[in-house]
Amino acid sequence: MLRGEFWRHFDFWLLGAVILANAFGVAMIRSAIAGNETLLPQINRQILYAGIGLVVVIVATILDYRYWSSLSRVLYFGTMLFLIILFLSGIARFGAARWFEVGTILIQPGEIAKLAIIIALADYFARSQDARRDWFWIAKSLLIAFGLMIWILLQPNLSTTIVIMVIWVAMVWVNGLQIKHLAAIIAAGLGVVLIGFPFLQDYQQQRVLTFFFPDPNVRHGATYNVLQALIALGSGGWFGKGYSQGSQTQLRFMKVRHTDFIFSVIGEEFGLIGAVLTIALLLFIIFRCLRAARLARDTFGSMLAYGVAILIFFQSAVNIAVNLNLIPVTGLPLPFISYGGSGLLSLMLGIGLVESVAVRHKPLEFK
Amino acid sequence: MSTVTSHSRFLGGRLLTIYIVIGLVFAVFFSRLFNLQILQGVDWTVQAVKNHTRAISVPPARGIIYDRNGFVLARNVASYNIVIIPAYLPDDDSDIQRIYRELSQLSGVPVNQGTVEEAKLISPCTPGPGITQLVALGESLAPYDQVKITCNVSEEAALIIREHAVDWPGVSIEIEPVRDYTTGSLTANLVGFLGPIPAILEQDYRDQGFRPGRDKVGYAGVEASLDSILVGQPGKRVVEVDVAGKELGNLQPPVAPVAGDNVMLTIDTRLQAAAQAALVGEIDSWNAWHGYLRISSGVAIAMNPKTGEILAMVSYPTYENNRMARFIPTYYYQQLSQDPRHPLLNTAVSATYPPGSVFKLSTATGALNEGVVRLDQIISAPGQIFLCEKYSPNEPCTERNQRPFVDWIFDKNPEGFGQIDFLHCIAWSSNVCFYKLAGGFEDEIPEGLGILRLKQYARALGYDQPSGVELLGEASGLIPDPTWKRINKGENWSTGDTYIAGVGQGYVASTPIQVLMSAATIANNGKLMQPTIIRAVIDGDGNTVRMWRDSQLNFYNSPVSGSWQMSPFQPHARWDITTDPIIKDYRCEGGFCAETGLMKTVQPWVVSKIQEGMRLAIVDARGTLNRETSFQNYPIAVAGKTGTAEYCDDVALANNRCRYGEWPTHAWTVAYAPFDDPEIVIVAFAYNAGEGASVAGPIVKKIMDAYFEIKAINIAQGLSGGQQP
Repeated sequence: MLRGEFWRHFDFWLLGAVILANAFGVAMIRSAIAGNETLLPQINRQILYAGIGLVVVIVATILDYRYWSSLSRVLYFGTMLFLIILFLSGIARFGAARWFEVGTILIQPGEIAKLAIIIALADYFARSQDARRDWFWIAKSLLIAFGLMIWILLQPNLSTTIVIMVIWVAMVWVNGLQIKHLAAIIAAGLGVVLIGFPFLQDYQQQRVLTFFFPDPNVRHGATYNVLQALIALGSGGWFGKGYSQGSQTQLRFMKVRHTDFIFSVIGEEFGLIGAVLTIALLLFIIFRCLRAARLARDTFGSMLAYGVAILIFFQSAVNIAVNLNLIPVTGLPLPFISYGGSGLLSLMLGIGLVESVAVRHKPLEFK
Repeated sequence: MSTVTSHSRFLGGRLLTIYIVIGLVFAVFFSRLFNLQILQGVDWTVQAVKNHTRAISVPPARGIIYDRNGFVLARNVASYNIVIIPAYLPDDDSDIQRIYRELSQLSGVPVNQGTVEEAKLISPCTPGPGITQLVALGESLAPYDQVKITCNVSEEAALIIREHAVDWPGVSIEIEPVRDYTTGSLTANLVGFLGPIPAILEQDYRDQGFRPGRDKVGYAGVEASLDSILVGQPGKRVVEVDVAGKELGNLQPPVAPVAGDNVMLTIDTRLQAAAQAALVGEIDSWNAWHGYLRISSGVAIAMNPKTGEILAMVSYPTYENNRMARFIPTYYYQQLSQDPRHPLLNTAVSATYPPGSVFKLSTATGALNEGVVRLDQIISAPGQIFLCEKYSPNEPCTERNQRPFVDWIFDKNPEGFGQIDFLHCIAWSSNVCFYKLAGGFEDEIPEGLGILRLKQYARALGYDQPSGVELLGEASGLIPDPTWKRINKGENWSTGDTYIAGVGQGYVASTPIQVLMSAATIANNGKLMQPTIIRAVIDGDGNTVRMWRDSQLNFYNSPVSGSWQMSPFQPHARWDITTDPIIKDYRCEGGFCAETGLMKTVQPWVVSKIQEGMRLAIVDARGTLNRETSFQNYPIAVAGKTGTAEYCDDVALANNRCRYGEWPTHAWTVAYAPFDDPEIVIVAFAYNAGEGASVAGPIVKKIMDAYFEIKAINIAQGLSGGQQP
């Protein structure tokens, strides 16, 4: 299995792009920390996570992805248990219990849940590929997604909930969701948003409100971070101010620079060229994942790769859209580039799954 | 195989839609990026630059004000403020608490008092909040900016804090320049005081680089009128700052502030002190004699008539400008502004009063120059005369419109002065004589001077216009004419108006400095010198700056048309009435006067006759200033004129004194010396003081004494020319 022939179909382009994104991310985190001493250890920590992530990719590649199919129930209910425990006895931080503390490492079950959902849904759609595309088929898949999602929503963690919903919609769509059902789901979704809004946490409501109705008089209020990010991006021009030369970043006018707003740091220091190249790199990774999905030898593998591609795409799109002030601020990091251990590791595991699918892709006709 | 069928569906349109969605989303991102970074790039760059760039204005040192002998009247002294920069305080809370405790012991500011919310409402330097609250407030706003804990601590306390610099990180001493007026209230009406930049001028001063809230501007006196010379030019540093406001370095070469120029006044502080003592002493002793506070205010001005240099200018009551040095205390300012005696007003130039008999100099000059009276003519001056009050020239003179015009001598001697010549009219200050000169009287003075011609001569002597001295808020006084009366009173000019205007009563109003100028012009043989209080403008290196000024108090570094040199001081003659044709010629007949379009001068002999008349007031046995308390047997030849001006203002009206025979009077005296070669002219004015010769005469005399004594001291000390060092 570990012979040269096994690696012949390994997607080196994908891994290369991911490593490049990781390395670039570490460099940008270094710049974005801007001399803040308490954040300084995070550079090495991110390098460490990237290294662990690489090992995860290799291990996950070697493991046949079809094992995940049989493990899917264990993984699903195990994650659910984790989430319930977290919900019941979680540590309250920033008003929400989102992670376990193991020593100095924080484990975010929400990140694992995203992959667990992808695996569970891929398993479901593979098994039910011949079933009629009726409401029952839809409801069952929704129930799977809902089983984990509810606990995340209760944390409360709106952004991860939305990610899971999007993954579900994308997967059910590609598996042949009928247009009339899609319309009904969209209508229901809108209904949930409108009815659900009053039940959001205050700060979540506030974020949505300040996005749609910004108060022009607020300087240090909620719009401050977004405005500073826009100033950073906008002042980047074609080629940017140069690495570690961005005044908005280095003089710390921008907040949460190394996580939520790292794209603005890139835009400020490397300009439009840097921002577009970053987007291109992410697009490349997404397309390589979709390529693996197309080439997969079975539906499970195909759905797996597809789900990971959607996960990367949606997180990237949301993060960049926040940076461009197109949508309200959410806490989603930029995949592979933003600082964050759990997020990076779960994404690397996802890449490992895609690679595992890729190396075992269906034989080509001319073989 | 089913897998294949599933895949074919999967690979079909469904995945294509996903590609399209991804493509669309990223296309939107690209266009948005292009829009932000390229199309709007300049706007965002401007904001980014604004974020991290801060222009810091460096305050210039304000110019020093000296008197004519180099004695400091206004200077800058250091005031020490204890400040804390929150960002530099130690990390450890117990260290901070220790610093607060020790600092509290030293400064007396409590460690904890009130809340941060309360501290927000209190302006810096005002006691109230504790150190903790002040620092907490400052830290939340700008942690690298100084927070004032307490202001104006002793130099010793400041030194202790400097010594503790190592133990008390974050605590330091801010040195703030504060104006110190060495002579205080003695020169307050001349020097003035400073105040915050008023809101309406905020933008102007900001454009010049000043910072409202920190920099101050003159509010009164020379501090206000010469503000542009004294204030200097602020320096500018453009620095890069981070989000906390910490300065990271200069972005542009710093521009150093330019200190304001120093100003040397013409005032002699010694004479100023003597004048104040004479004025206040006389007023106090008369008030004591009356047994109530009758004389509420007064003015004394001394000037060199040949140069226009004002040596002393006292306006009583005044204020203590040192109390405004740091800030203007509300209670003090209210006390001053609500005082009916107007201590904030420099009454020497900003208040007008009826001049009374001192105005007769104008009437006399006009009457003699126009040939209304001959020198050898004997005029009958009984105690009172009856004249017709006519509101138009051909109104008949009947019993009904006749009314008595009384001489001041009437109460003592109803017979009046008898038959007197022109010079004795001046020396004895006969009202009846001047009624006749101003308005004409039967066959004796067939054609009086008339109000139009009187106004011309009064203006020639400096009345009816601001003196142009370098002080703000000057009043222009008033010489009425028929047009003025029609517009302002809605009534025709009457003959009686002319009679009483001839003796400086009625609608005539003048500032004390105008009275001084009229006498100075006569003393200086008709040359009206521009009164000034500026002797020189001196730069920081001690060099005299050449400066010019115009009548609008604009200052120039090079001569422009209509300007004259003010520094170094050169006497500037406004005009010479004996050579400059500034008097409009009128042809008068039967009370009608018409302009001929010609301009005329005053004949030199007329001026010398007026001088003689004023001299006679001292040497003649019945002269108004020939008294023991004034210039009787004075060793130096003095010439002068007294005035006892009836008035009716809001105070008199309230006391029901504005009635015939009940009018209250102001006391005036103006005199100059030596008679042959005058070098000093002095005016004294006392409000509601009674007779001019009794109250104002002694004041002038005492100032005259002081002037010649100071001159003797100057000569003894080897300073040539007495007042000219």
